[in-house]
Amino acid sequence: MSSRIRTYLGEALVLFLVVVMLLPIFYMLAMSFRSASEIAAQPLGLPTSFDLENYSNAIGSMHYVRSVANSLGITIAVTFVVSLLGSMAAYPLARKSGRVGRVIILLTSLSLATPGFVTITPYYVILNNIGLLNTYAGIILVYIATNLPLAIFFYVGFISTIPRELEEAARLDNCGDWKVFWYVIRPLLGPATATLSLFVMLAVWNDFLFPLLLLTDDSKGTIMVSVYRFLGNFEIKPDKLFPAAVLASLPLLVLFVIFQRRIVSGMTSGAVK
Amino acid sequence: MSDVLLKNITKKFGSVTAINGVNSQINSGEFCVLVGPSGCGKSTLLRMIAGLEGITSGDLLIGGKNQTNADPAKRGVAMVFQTYALYPHMTVKENMSFGLKMVGTKKQEIERKVSNAAKILGLEDLLDRRPKALSGGQRQRVAIGRAIVREPKVFLFDEPLSNLDAELRVQMRLELSRLHARLKTTMIYVTHDQVEAMTLADKIIVMKDGNIEQFGAPDEIYSDPKNLFVAQFIGSPKMNILNGVVTKVDQNSAQIILPDFPDKSVIVKTAEPLKPSAHVKLGIRPEHFGQTGSIALDMVVSLVENLGDLRHVHLQADGLDSNLCSLLREKMQVTANEKMVVRFDPKDAFLFDSETGQRLR
Repeated sequence: MSSRIRTYLGEALVLFLVVVMLLPIFYMLAMSFRSASEIAAQPLGLPTSFDLENYSNAIGSMHYVRSVANSLGITIAVTFVVSLLGSMAAYPLARKSGRVGRVIILLTSLSLATPGFVTITPYYVILNNIGLLNTYAGIILVYIATNLPLAIFFYVGFISTIPRELEEAARLDNCGDWKVFWYVIRPLLGPATATLSLFVMLAVWNDFLFPLLLLTDDSKGTIMVSVYRFLGNFEIKPDKLFPAAVLASLPLLVLFVIFQRRIVSGMTSGAVK
Repeated sequence: MSDVLLKNITKKFGSVTAINGVNSQINSGEFCVLVGPSGCGKSTLLRMIAGLEGITSGDLLIGGKNQTNADPAKRGVAMVFQTYALYPHMTVKENMSFGLKMVGTKKQEIERKVSNAAKILGLEDLLDRRPKALSGGQRQRVAIGRAIVREPKVFLFDEPLSNLDAELRVQMRLELSRLHARLKTTMIYVTHDQVEAMTLADKIIVMKDGNIEQFGAPDEIYSDPKNLFVAQFIGSPKMNILNGVVTKVDQNSAQIILPDFPDKSVIVKTAEPLKPSAHVKLGIRPEHFGQTGSIALDMVVSLVENLGDLRHVHLQADGLDSNLCSLLREKMQVTANEKMVVRFDPKDAFLFDSETGQRLR
């Protein structure tokens, strides 16, 4: 097989995968402009007009602004605290501790393998006992606890690639451990933080189970819980569900566009010298 | 006063002894070069002086003050690293002023010191650039500038030129010499390059396996090595070594035959009480191994390296287990595989004990 044919085949495969990945998004977008009767009559049909009525109806009946604000607040708070605490915990683990550090890193990575639903009941009981059930602080704490192992694992790997001489130079420049971290290590974690933030934001924004169980008050619900309300036990409202799903994805899409350059450089950092 | 005194300094990593009871004094204002092969402990010793490695036992005094366990920043030393270790997220100016900021120096004072250092090093136009936008030589200058602004008692350099290309290395070497002449501060410089050691140093400390083999002025080390290791390590091309056996001993001289060159013997001046049939090594510098001298050896040219003004002629002989080298300045034609008579004068030869490697004077 000539190299040209192989290149074409490779490109065709990539194109096919892209189409497979984009198909659900396209379907969601197409359905969001169709009426409930159109969808029922022809589930795979294309929209005949781009009327925004579905969107205004969805926004009106799902407390869109409030639930986006809730999601945004929780996501930003969790991402900020996780990246700060994660990097602070990872620095000594990457640099200072010997055998003990390796055991801690191992335990941390083991906790990454624990399925999320296993921990829901303990979290529920604990939050109930300390009076943080149905509070933003409670769910933020839970998300921090569930995402911190990922952050530590992530930062330990990244910090290990930072030359030690930078820290030594800082020590000669009158920096103790804290100043070395704050003035030298932390500013270098930008690309890693951007990548980690994306993972954490995706996990927190898209999570449905924790807010459903831990935030029982409707006004505190996140966007994902709001979208789910259009999925009833006995009926589905597709003309509201699909626009709501599009609206729920929008803020995350905007964040991704903002962080894109740093995320890509974070993913590739360390690949070349 | 910024002399550095090392008193019985030892460093152990677990069961491995990296520095073995080192004693030395580096005088105030001296440019001292620590030189030795890879793994000899020179960088470890420098890092111990900087405070980046703990001292297992012994005492370190800087400017008369015991700094054995002092914090790195409190020792009054500044270090230039092999990899420069510039903070990549800071500009040149920020890199240079960072240490001063950390000790709470006033803004005006920082400005003055940074602009003064930038002037000395020709960095005035680069102050707003980040390290990644600088060439290797410029980065090296910034690293030196960062050390200068702190006005340390002692500068420490850890192989600072090894990442530069040959031309830039020579240029930076000259700049370092000028800088030392200008600042007159104590400088301790680590290198494995003996040319750097010879050209820069007021004092050279030759190290091997965590021990100091010899210290002294470059000329002294070169012309009066204490042992075979120092004799071979200092000098490029390295000293030629011939095997010898003592046949006759007088009061102030010994007759030595050269087993690798039948019928050849040398009378060398020595006051050592040598015993007949003792095995010795005879060392002759390549510049003394050429076309003049009373001892003539028949050899074969194996390779000629033409350096323009001079040539390194590598020579072999039957039974000789290593190449010898002659440094030729004469315009005579020499080609590989041809026979050549090489001469030397016994007064230029150094005598060493075969077993201990110690100099026999």
